Amino acid sequence: MKMKQRDKQKTYQWVGKRVQRKDGPEKVTGDLKYMTDYRYENMVWGRVLRAKHPYAKIKQIDTSRAEAYPGVICVLTYEDIPGFNGFGIVVPDQPVLCHDYVRCMSDAVALVAAETEEIAEEALQLIDVDYEVLTPVTDPEEAMKENAPMLHPSGNVHTHVQVQNGDIEKAFAEADIIVENTYISPRQMHAFIETEGGWGILEEDGSLTIRCPGQYAFRDRMQIARVLAWNPHRIHVVSNPIGGGFGGKDEITVQIYLALLALHTGGRPVKIHYKREESVIAGIKRHPFKVKMKTAAKKDGTLIANQVIAYGDTGAYASLGGAVISLAVEHSCGPYYIPNVDLNGYCVYTNNGVSGAFRGFGVNQVCFAMEQNIDIIAEKLGIDPIEIRKKNVYHQGGISSVGHRVTASVGTWETLDVAEKSDLWQRRHHYKNNPSEPWKKRGIGIASSFHGIGMGIGLPDYGAATIELLPGGRFLVGVCSEDIGQGNGTVFAIVAAEALQCHLDDIDVIQGDTKLTLDSGTVSASRSTYVGGNTILAAAPNMIQLLIHTAAEIFDIDPEFVEHRDGKLWKTIPVQGKEVLSYAEIYDYLYQHRRETKVEGHFMVPTAEKMIGKNVGMPHKVYGYQTHLVLVEVDMLTGETEVLQVLSIPDCGKVINLLGLEGQAEGGAVMGIGYTLYEDTVIENGLYKTTNFTNYILPTFKETPHIQTIPVESDEKSGPFGAKGIGEVVMIPIIPAIVQAIYDATGARIRHLPATPERVYQAMKEQGMI
Amino acid sequence: MPEINFTVNGRSVSVNTYPAKTLLDVLREDLDLTGSKECCGKGECGSCSVIVGDEVVCSCLILVGQIEGEEIQTVEGVGSLEQLDPLQVAFLECGATQCGYCTPGIIVAVKAYLEKLNRIPTQDEIKEALAGNLCRCTGYVKIIEAVAKAAKQQFV
Repeated sequence: MKMKQRDKQKTYQWVGKRVQRKDGPEKVTGDLKYMTDYRYENMVWGRVLRAKHPYAKIKQIDTSRAEAYPGVICVLTYEDIPGFNGFGIVVPDQPVLCHDYVRCMSDAVALVAAETEEIAEEALQLIDVDYEVLTPVTDPEEAMKENAPMLHPSGNVHTHVQVQNGDIEKAFAEADIIVENTYISPRQMHAFIETEGGWGILEEDGSLTIRCPGQYAFRDRMQIARVLAWNPHRIHVVSNPIGGGFGGKDEITVQIYLALLALHTGGRPVKIHYKREESVIAGIKRHPFKVKMKTAAKKDGTLIANQVIAYGDTGAYASLGGAVISLAVEHSCGPYYIPNVDLNGYCVYTNNGVSGAFRGFGVNQVCFAMEQNIDIIAEKLGIDPIEIRKKNVYHQGGISSVGHRVTASVGTWETLDVAEKSDLWQRRHHYKNNPSEPWKKRGIGIASSFHGIGMGIGLPDYGAATIELLPGGRFLVGVCSEDIGQGNGTVFAIVAAEALQCHLDDIDVIQGDTKLTLDSGTVSASRSTYVGGNTILAAAPNMIQLLIHTAAEIFDIDPEFVEHRDGKLWKTIPVQGKEVLSYAEIYDYLYQHRRETKVEGHFMVPTAEKMIGKNVGMPHKVYGYQTHLVLVEVDMLTGETEVLQVLSIPDCGKVINLLGLEGQAEGGAVMGIGYTLYEDTVIENGLYKTTNFTNYILPTFKETPHIQTIPVESDEKSGPFGAKGIGEVVMIPIIPAIVQAIYDATGARIRHLPATPERVYQAMKEQGMI
Repeated sequence: MPEINFTVNGRSVSVNTYPAKTLLDVLREDLDLTGSKECCGKGECGSCSVIVGDEVVCSCLILVGQIEGEEIQTVEGVGSLEQLDPLQVAFLECGATQCGYCTPGIIVAVKAYLEKLNRIPTQDEIKEALAGNLCRCTGYVKIIEAVAKAAKQQFV
């Protein structure tokens, strides 16, 4: 107990403070060179020919007119692929260049390299592709029917994930209340401000350099190598910096195109940089879901059963669709314990573009459903919405709804408690009763959610870091996991500075480089603070050992008589010579003796005890938790909704950088507002109707509410300084919270997102509110 | 190709290029000023914002032939790593940049806005002034804070 108290009182020099970004100065001055900012004198431009139809058989491809066009350097088709013609993070079923069928408008058919971007564009028009047009499959439930055209040899159901516990029929029979609804959610676009782009360069030594923003440089390298049939070691991938990712650069974007073209340009660097219109068509999106959910409870609000059928539209290819569905099923009952469940998720192929990883990864869609069902139950039973959630949450050591014991920290109850005690909740009637205009109404909504940290059981999940002692006693920390904007590089520096007892300014961080860093895994699954932090904490003792042993050698004493304290090496026994050595002096000694100054640290992500059924990746050991409380105002004449206030209460374990955490919470909240109220990439009959930001509506400064972030710091023993992860869950419960606030304001339930003015107005009309 | 003369960040430049090339492409390709970014290419996002005279414009919508004799200010003219503008310092202190790709355009838009201010703006005025700039990472809150901070400093 004494020990525990001392731990709690532990003060950190850097951890938990408001630390400015390490890469901030060069970002605010515009000095930072993103990949697409580079230029080479002898460069050439690459372009991609996309499918002309959402579903068609390719009868013939004739590139002769394009090849003859002046200024064209090469035109490539599937015939020019030396290795495996496919990519995809889990199942590589997406052709790099299509040869028999095109299955969506995102499909690539040919590549062109030319002297200018304009010539490349012209050349695309001169490639003659003879298609036999087929009728596209555009609805997942239709795609599952037996008579639907098979888009892949394995059928149209890519995966079916199922979890069953207890006796669902018995529970429904014994229930006091059953709520059943169907919820539909949109195809959100990542809309990173930097569109996909980069460089491919065949070096003089025959190696290949790909400079392209990504979320896992080592996996990108593997996917490139597989297509080229090259040894991955001949390929150097540089994936940092990145102008936004959110999961949209997790899969291959243009890396393979760059590699193929670079092999045919005589060593001239080739650049691809998508225009926004091409990015909209080519890029993966969030899976649109249809969720049928039937939830049962007893009179006292105890949840006793949940039946879920979720259909996720993965588009023409799998990418991470199977994993998205698995996460959706795992999280479909929320952070609550429900003993009787029948949870089913189907990941279905259609001809609607390609869906893949996106912040939240399937949890957003099921949370939208679950939290509303709970709210309806609470209302019908006359129970306070916070109380019903507090009553049903599982605690640390408790059982989750998929049936495993959650041994890591759980802060859901505390996040709900913070919400309950907040001014916004305590004085909710005051806030609600004072709308800005007489024709507007206000409402308050609350919701909670959670999100797994890391890949989950059965999937490779590891990390590695290097720490190198530099001249002047500085350190270079290498973690491959890229900084996609969230500020993990600054987190890595904080962890290293704390562990090595040095100033933050004495830490440099390098990320996203397959030559200069070790494989640290993906930047996804809310994992990089947790894993990257732990790898640095694994490397730091090795560095401290190196410092101590070197100091002992200089002092000419046994290492046990050297103390590492206050960022220096102290002699603890009275012998002649210096009393203390600085890191700079240690470096000088090592350098003079031509000795290694670099150490490594490795970390295997701990997993849950056992897999749930045969569902690889399920469950996770560690989860982040989150509650959102929102105040909205709805215009009863137009149905337009404005979010006025957001209280974001994350349980991310120990906060490493408070400024960064708030940045994630605010960015996540606004992205959640966009998802709930405005955003949808419209595809009709397989054709994109959405083209650019003219018709894809993103939240702007004007839609930004007042956002307050109050972290609940549950201490996660397995995390670096007690930290978990936060990148995804910060955008999740705000979705149902807004929808419930709309209900609170208007009396109309919205079950189809986004809740555009038209949908809200129509719902109010249909449900008799106006 | 005609020669087009104008001033960028106080420096006289002349470029030989097609008059129909966008100012953004000229800045990035001919003058190696890559702080200004292309994101939508349609004037929707503000990532390419520069100041022409005293007006913020989307440089992706301006043809270089239109700016003969004009004075242009880009993010590179607002401050440097050696000498940050107080506005840039406020952005760092408030945590107003994440991936940073939209940041130069926003810095330019804020710079022009601050220069025209004659009093400390309200939150709503700041939101209105920057409504033409998109950011996907930050949720805008810390940018608004940074602008308020820089504006306040201007009047103390």
